[in-house]
This record gives sequence, C-alpha cells and structure tokens, in this order.
Amino acid sequence: MRLLIATLLAASCALAQIRTVALPGKSPLVTFRIVFTTGSASDPLDKPGLAYLTARMLADGGTRDMTYKQIVDALFPMAGGVSAQVDKEMCTFSGATHVDNLTAYYKLLRAMLLTPGWREDDFKRVKDDAINALKVGLRGNNDEELAKEVLYQNIYQGTPYAHYSGGTVSSLEKITLDDLKEFYRSQYTQSQLILGIAGGYSSAFLDNMKKDFRGLPENAAFHPRMTPAKMIDGTRAVIVDKDTRSVAYSIGFPIEVTRDQADYAAMLLVSSYLGQHRMSGGVLYNQMREQRGLNYGDYAYIEYFPRGMFLMEPQPNLARKYQIFQLWIRPVEPPTAKFALRLALYELDKLITEGISEDAFERTRGFLTKFVNVLTKTKRAELGYAIDSAYYRIPPYNQYLKAALAKLTLNDVNRAIKAHLRTNRLVISVVSRDGEALKRQLASEDPSPMTYNSPKPAAIAEEDKIVEKWPLHLRSGDITVTPVGEVFQ
Amino acid sequence: MISRFLLAACCAGIAMGAQPPQKVFPYAYSQEDLPNGLRLVTVPTDYPNIVAVFIVVQTGSRNEVEPGHTGFAHLFEHLMFKGTEKFPPTKYNETLNRIGAASNASTSDDYTVYHTTFSREDLETVLMMEADRFQHLKYTEPEFKTETLAVLGEYNKNSSNPFQKLNEVVSDTAFDRHTYKHSAMGFLKDIQDMPNQYGYSLKFFDRYYRPEYTTIIVVGDVKVKATRDLADKYWAAWKHGSYKPDIPAEPPQEGPRADHVDWSTPTLPIVTVAFKGPAYSDTTKDTAALSVLSTLAFSPNSDLYQKLVIQEQRVDSLGASSPSSVDPALFEITARVKKAADLDYVRDQILAAIKAFQEKPVDAQRLDSVRKRLRYQLALGMDNSETIAQILSGFVALRRSPETMNKLFDQYASLTPEDVRQAATRYLVEKARTIVTLTGPEGGK
Repeated sequence: MRLLIATLLAASCALAQIRTVALPGKSPLVTFRIVFTTGSASDPLDKPGLAYLTARMLADGGTRDMTYKQIVDALFPMAGGVSAQVDKEMCTFSGATHVDNLTAYYKLLRAMLLTPGWREDDFKRVKDDAINALKVGLRGNNDEELAKEVLYQNIYQGTPYAHYSGGTVSSLEKITLDDLKEFYRSQYTQSQLILGIAGGYSSAFLDNMKKDFRGLPENAAFHPRMTPAKMIDGTRAVIVDKDTRSVAYSIGFPIEVTRDQADYAAMLLVSSYLGQHRMSGGVLYNQMREQRGLNYGDYAYIEYFPRGMFLMEPQPNLARKYQIFQLWIRPVEPPTAKFALRLALYELDKLITEGISEDAFERTRGFLTKFVNVLTKTKRAELGYAIDSAYYRIPPYNQYLKAALAKLTLNDVNRAIKAHLRTNRLVISVVSRDGEALKRQLASEDPSPMTYNSPKPAAIAEEDKIVEKWPLHLRSGDITVTPVGEVFQ
Repeated sequence: MISRFLLAACCAGIAMGAQPPQKVFPYAYSQEDLPNGLRLVTVPTDYPNIVAVFIVVQTGSRNEVEPGHTGFAHLFEHLMFKGTEKFPPTKYNETLNRIGAASNASTSDDYTVYHTTFSREDLETVLMMEADRFQHLKYTEPEFKTETLAVLGEYNKNSSNPFQKLNEVVSDTAFDRHTYKHSAMGFLKDIQDMPNQYGYSLKFFDRYYRPEYTTIIVVGDVKVKATRDLADKYWAAWKHGSYKPDIPAEPPQEGPRADHVDWSTPTLPIVTVAFKGPAYSDTTKDTAALSVLSTLAFSPNSDLYQKLVIQEQRVDSLGASSPSSVDPALFEITARVKKAADLDYVRDQILAAIKAFQEKPVDAQRLDSVRKRLRYQLALGMDNSETIAQILSGFVALRRSPETMNKLFDQYASLTPEDVRQAATRYLVEKARTIVTLTGPEGGK
C-alpha cells in the first residue's frame, strides 16, 4: 500500500492538533475533502435540515468579500467547484483543482468555509432549492430514492437519525439565516474538523492550510446524544401512495455492525454475496432479475448508500455510528409486486437458514479482496476512504479489509449471518399507486402465483410454489398508506 | 444508458500560449487494426495496477432503422450478458467475481459500450471472455423473453423522472425520419413487444456485432505488444460482416414546432428549446463553435444564468448541450422554472439570449476563459485509467480514434468570436426550432 497517511488525532485540549489526512503525490491535480464530523444528527429537534442548509449555504453562497456571482466567475476558468455532502455525522466539502490554479482555488475554498457571506438573497435561493429538492426531486422524480429515504426515516424512529438529512418542507420554511449562523458557530470547529488533501501540493501548503483552519473555534458547543435505534417491534410496511407506473421497494432494519466492528468483513461478504451493488452475480439479482425477469436489479447493503441509481460505487464520507441492513428491490410491475416481495424475503430467509457455501464464501472473498482496488482507484476515492478510516480509527481501508478478509472463515460468516440478520421485525418501504389496494393485498395470506412469458425450468416452478405462499406476517394494522404529498412535509 | 450530453461535457480542452498547440490527449497510445477489421487502441498510463477495457460497438439507437424495433441496440446491451456455451452466465459472472472486476455496459444514440475494470494480472482472462461472448453469444428464446422484462423494468425505473419523458417528446417532435426520433430506450410499445422478437434479435446480432463495427480500448497498467498478442490470440477468428444500415436522412425542417407534456404528479415546470444542429465534425468549426456557445450562453457564469437563477431566482436549473453525434442532432437548452406563470418569460429570455449572440460577437476574453475551462475540465476528468477509457470511448464512437479528441481541440484553438456568432446565426434559427414544455397537475400551459 502506497498510502502515506499522516493522521493526527485531536484531543480536546488547548494544544490539540487538527486532524489531517494527507496523501501527497506527483499528480498535477490536488483534491480536497474537508470534513466536519457534524451533520443532521446535530439538527435541533424542531429544525430538521439545519445542517444541510448550512452546508449548502457555504458551498452555494458568497463569502464575506465576494458575491456568489464573483465566486462562480472566479471558479469558471479553473473548471472548479465546491460541493457539499451532508449526512448524519459528517458534512463534507470537496473539490479539485489543477496545480496551475492551486493558490487561486484554495483562496476561494478557504473563504467559502472560513468567512461565509450569509447574504439574504443567497439564503433565499439555497432554501428554495432545498424545498424543491424534497417536493419535486425526492417525492416526484425518483421513486427508488424515495423508498430508500422513507425506509431510513422509519427504522431510526426516536433517534437523531430519524429525519431525512435534507430536512422537511415545513422545517426548511421556518429556518432562518440566524439559525444557520448559530449552527456554523457551534459545529464548524477544530475539534470536529478533518482536513483531507491529496495530490501535488507541498508540505508548506499544507502547513498554511492548517494555520488557516485554526481560525475556527476550538470545540463544538454541543454533541448530540446518540442512542441506538430501538428494536422494531414487528414487521411494518409503509406505503407511499403516488401516481406511478411501477412498485419500488426498500426493506431493512438497523444493525450494530460498522466498519470498525469485528463482524464488518463477514457482513460485507454476506451483502456482496446476496446482492453486490449494481453487479450481476448476486443471489437476489440472479433469482429476481435473471431467472424471473421481475425488474432491473436487486441488491443488498450493510451501510447507508444514497443515490445508488446514479452510482456504480459507494461514495465515501457517509461514516456513521449506526448502520443499516437493506435490500433494494428496483421497481416491479404492479401485478408481480406481492410475489417480488415474497421472493426477496424468501431469499433472505434461505440465507439465514442455510448460510453460505464454502465455494461461494471463497469466491466472494476473492472478489472483495481484489474489488477493493477498484473502489479506491481515484485519488479522491482513496482520500475519502482514508478520512473514513480516520473517523472509525481503523488502518487504511484497503489494508484493513484485505487483512480482515484473509483471516475470515466460513464459520465466522455463517455465525455473523445468524447474529445480525433476520426476516422478522423489518420495515418494508413501498412506493406505489393505489396504496390501499396494495395494502389489502399485502395484508392477506392469499397466494400470489406468477405467470411468465416463457417456460421456466422445473426447479424455478417448484420454488415458486413455495414463494407464492411465503408468509409476510403483515396485518392490516401493520401497514400505513401515506399520500406522497405528506412525506417529508 | 448514457445521454448524448456526456461527450459534450467531457470533450473539451485547448492548448494555449504561443507555442505550437500541444496535443490535449497527453498519453502515447497505439492504434492497430486486425485483418478482420477489429481496431485495438492501447493506452499505457502511469496509474498502477488497474486496467480498464472499454469495447465500443458503433451501434446505437441510430441503427434501429426498422419500424417496431426501436430499443434493440439497448436490448443487446442486456443480451450480451446471456453467455455462451463455454461461459454460460453463471460461469461468466463467477469468473468476473473471482477476479474482482467491475463490469457494466451502456447504450446511447450512436454506440454501445461494454466496460470492465480490474487488476492488471487478469487482462488475458477479460480479453478472452469478451472475445468469446462477442463471437459466440448464445441465448434461448425463454432466456430472451425473460431479459426483455428486465428492459421493461429499466424503463419503469426511469419513468418517474419527467426529464426522461420531456427528452422523448423533444426528439419525437423535432425529427420526422431520422432514427434520432426515438430515445436509446426505444418507444414503450416496442419494448412491450420485444418478447415476440426473438428472430429479429438474432438478425440484429448478426448484422452489427462484427469486427468492423468494434474498437477495443485498453487503458492502464498494460504493455502495447502483450495486449496486441492477446487480441490476435482471441479475436482474430471473428468474421467480418457485410451489413450497412440505410439510415434515413432527416429532411430540412421548414418551420418552428412546439409540443406540451402534461405530467401527472407534482413537478416544477420545464421548458426545452431545441434547434437542429450539424453532425459532429472536427474538420470544420461547427461542432467546436456550438459547444463553446452552449457554455458561454447558458453555463453558471453566463449572463442569462446569473439573471434567471441567481438574481431573479425564477429558475432553479439551466443548462445546454451541443450536438456531437454521428448525424445532425439537436442543440438543446433546458430550464426548470419555479412558477408556471414564468414559463413564457423564461422561454423568451432564452430566445433573447440567442439573438444577442447572433448579433454581436462574444468578447474575446470570455472566449479564452471558456477555452481555459474546457482544458482544465478535461485534465480534472482524466484522473484514472477507467475515466480516460470512458472519455476516449465517446470519441472512438465517432471516428474510431483517440486522435479525434486532438482534432476537436485544434478546432477549439482556432475559434474566433466571429465563428461563434456565425454558428449561432446558422443553426439557432426559428425554422429549425422545437420548443417543448412540461407542467404538473397545477398546470400553467
């Protein structure tokens, strides 16, 4: 591993060092990832979306000395930009520049993060965009992402993870510019900062950058008190009712396994075997799409993975104290909706009951051992993973995962499956038209036989006889139907 | 699926300064033809360990010339994963799994590209398996029928996005005869009929999956000679074909067109203003001039963007794409408007901005600023072997050579403000215009 990671961990004393993840190299590019370990989990209870709006205001607004137009004009010839990503525990500002423009680019980045302009007209635009992202983007344009975020909202009820990081319409409408300034003052602090930089910069450049960020307050004013998500009492289905062609599912529950836990590698192997993101070969993909043509793809996850329909690989800097297990069932035709749900749960049950075979274990382990190189093929990805490793206090990700996979046994994996997975006490999130009709279907024990447009092998036909009656354990009272206009309101 | 905008976004750059223009594609590469017509482009890079293989087939929805068979190029993107006698799907997937490869494919108007990214020691395995499926693809009718449902599933998952529908209607309205009339997904009725078209699918494969349509791009931690040896070993037996599609020419448009889409769920109103543009060319200035114009007039630092998005805040997104396709395609400007009442105003502002560019040559300094941006955009994009291969694939789809990129940049270098004005005057004209609006249940049109 060629990583040269200088990770200086901060302590909460006056002489604290700023945490820095630095990957120097000979590249003509310089990549920045500046992370504050605060996020929507730190939103005040009555102001969901505050962390999101604050970060967007920094990335999409002017600075004390420059209007937003001046920033856009200055970044334009460099093909530069600063993007913000907000999750529960991290706000990440990222960008890249050619070394030709390093000084000019950094000057802008520094001003955006350290001396924001807080102008009312920028705030109005940023707020409008955030509200439209909910009303039009999430509710209207992308049923799959909608189902996923409704799932996450439901499995974390009663915790600071319970609300969508982008907030709610009513909350965004009432948040003020003063709220943003207060959040910035209390949360954008040295103790919550990880400076990430990679590429062709000098050590003097990095020293100066650290000095600049010492201008931030030292310690955060408060930390959210996180409690683990409460156990879900029983399986629940949450149907979002909207006028749409097909039925989108996301299914899951919270798990305690995070990247720094002993069972991480085992569970990563399990999720890869069951449904490696956007790849053929996973069990769900094979059974649902390849064998039965139910939809475009079906995948499994052990970490939060937003925007999966646009990404072939996960984005870094979504590190969290608590993670999820999730199945993503891409939209199915309405007549097959109940069968598809039954099949997904049948496959999950089969995995838990039978475990993984020696052959599948070796193959999946081999895949992940090599695939980790693909995950970190760019400097920006390598930097992002290195920052996450600093957050979790684990070695560089490639080394860490390869070592953990090398030690892993089939028994470890099959034990981890039993310890962390289940088919009861799930949340099933659904986006569908005629929500009440689907509710009646799901609450009934009636079989949901499949018909196909071509003959199927005997083994599939046999399996279908079991699947079509697979119990969903849903009663009418376990299923809610919400009009799409009410979610994230 | 990728949009026709990808190439415009990626393919830009210019050498500046007093020295002779430096080639913008910074890598030494090898371009070789096998006797059967297959082309191999090998680009060794200094990014260690990883190799990206992108196989470009110059067959996209443009090639779907027969009525009732739209979407077949894209269907083939799916069918190519159905296996061969030697590598049935399970074995194919298990092998990719064993070598830790990331593999996928996409289809656009002009081409289909199959790509795999993996560790360097597995180059032979990948080239061997790819050669096998390109020459010996075999699928049964039941397998075919099942896969057509996955294509319908893909249509379904896209169908909640109003931009998808808007794009379909813009193309359908603007074109009468040329196959750019339909999207790469195809018309829904044709997708629904695909299960009945097994025989046609075999014909499609026989026509287009031939070496003369295909270029293999290998980028990364590789050697030129060893890569050529592997290409000879596994691809030399592939037989040259004879089919040439008769793609109907689009007659000149004789007047402005307009259409409207009623979207059934809440959305902000959207307007697209499109004009018939030229075919891609790196021997004339048209492609480069229109690409620069799209940035000058509609990117975030343009006067129009600043007015509509930043100052007046009537629009939340504005952008344009310029044509870079094999045949004449559309120059499109799209704006999403916050209030339906402003839709006409925004449309008129777009038209006024175009008129201003037709009347007065752009400031030379601004033109230089765009050139600079395009150059750095390219440099920032080429930060790993996979992306380099991806950017190259768009150029190879047009002219089968990485040199295409350098030639286009030469055109950028030679552009004058007057060239940009002339391109705006020649192409962005009323009689070649199509305007399509889309509004949700709240109405507005």
